[in-house]
Amino acid sequence: MAAIRNRIRELRALREITQQELADRVGVTRQTVIAIEQDKYSPSLETAFKVALVLGVPLEECFQYDPRGKR
Amino acid sequence: MAISLSYREKTLYASLAAELIVYGPYFFLHQQNSLNKVAGMIFSIIVLQIVVQMAIAIFTRNRITDERDHLIELQGYRAGYFAVTTMMVIGLGALWIHAALGQIHLDSRMMGLHFLSVFFGALVISDITKTVTQLVAYRRAL
Repeated sequence: MAAIRNRIRELRALREITQQELADRVGVTRQTVIAIEQDKYSPSLETAFKVALVLGVPLEECFQYDPRGKR
Repeated sequence: MAISLSYREKTLYASLAAELIVYGPYFFLHQQNSLNKVAGMIFSIIVLQIVVQMAIAIFTRNRITDERDHLIELQGYRAGYFAVTTMMVIGLGALWIHAALGQIHLDSRMMGLHFLSVFFGALVISDITKTVTQLVAYRRAL
């Protein structure tokens, strides 16, 4: 299990935002959004804040840190 | 499931194809290599890369690159650096062993050519290693 987990897919679905729309608004590629959603890539702090901002939630509601998870 | 490729991935696949097409003969037709052929290969890879990268840029609407692309690029350069240093050590070691066994004659005229051959081979392998490492990183998400 990854150290940094997220609820992006769920929050995105609630707001009816596509992966491409989120990617465009955050300034990353759609492939990066897919990798983040699948917990395969941990974004930089700046990108994490941008994702939370676009989804309209605090950072900790979007991303969670699990100290037992692997980096 | 359809595989969606980013702009960077498309350019990397094109680079790998160009590298294999142009550099392939260097390894498989080694006996026929000459300084002119090596120079020709370098010129060919530059021209081919420019043409292919331009074509991809024209036909790709979204050409954005992000932090993950930069991270993967760094991984590729690191793998390429290890490949070039390893190949240089192995190549020069092999030259030294062949010379010590008397299988090749390292006089002042031939030494430069042998060193150039090892150096070019190391560069080619490191270039391919760099590209393949990046493609693997993209497929594994990172």
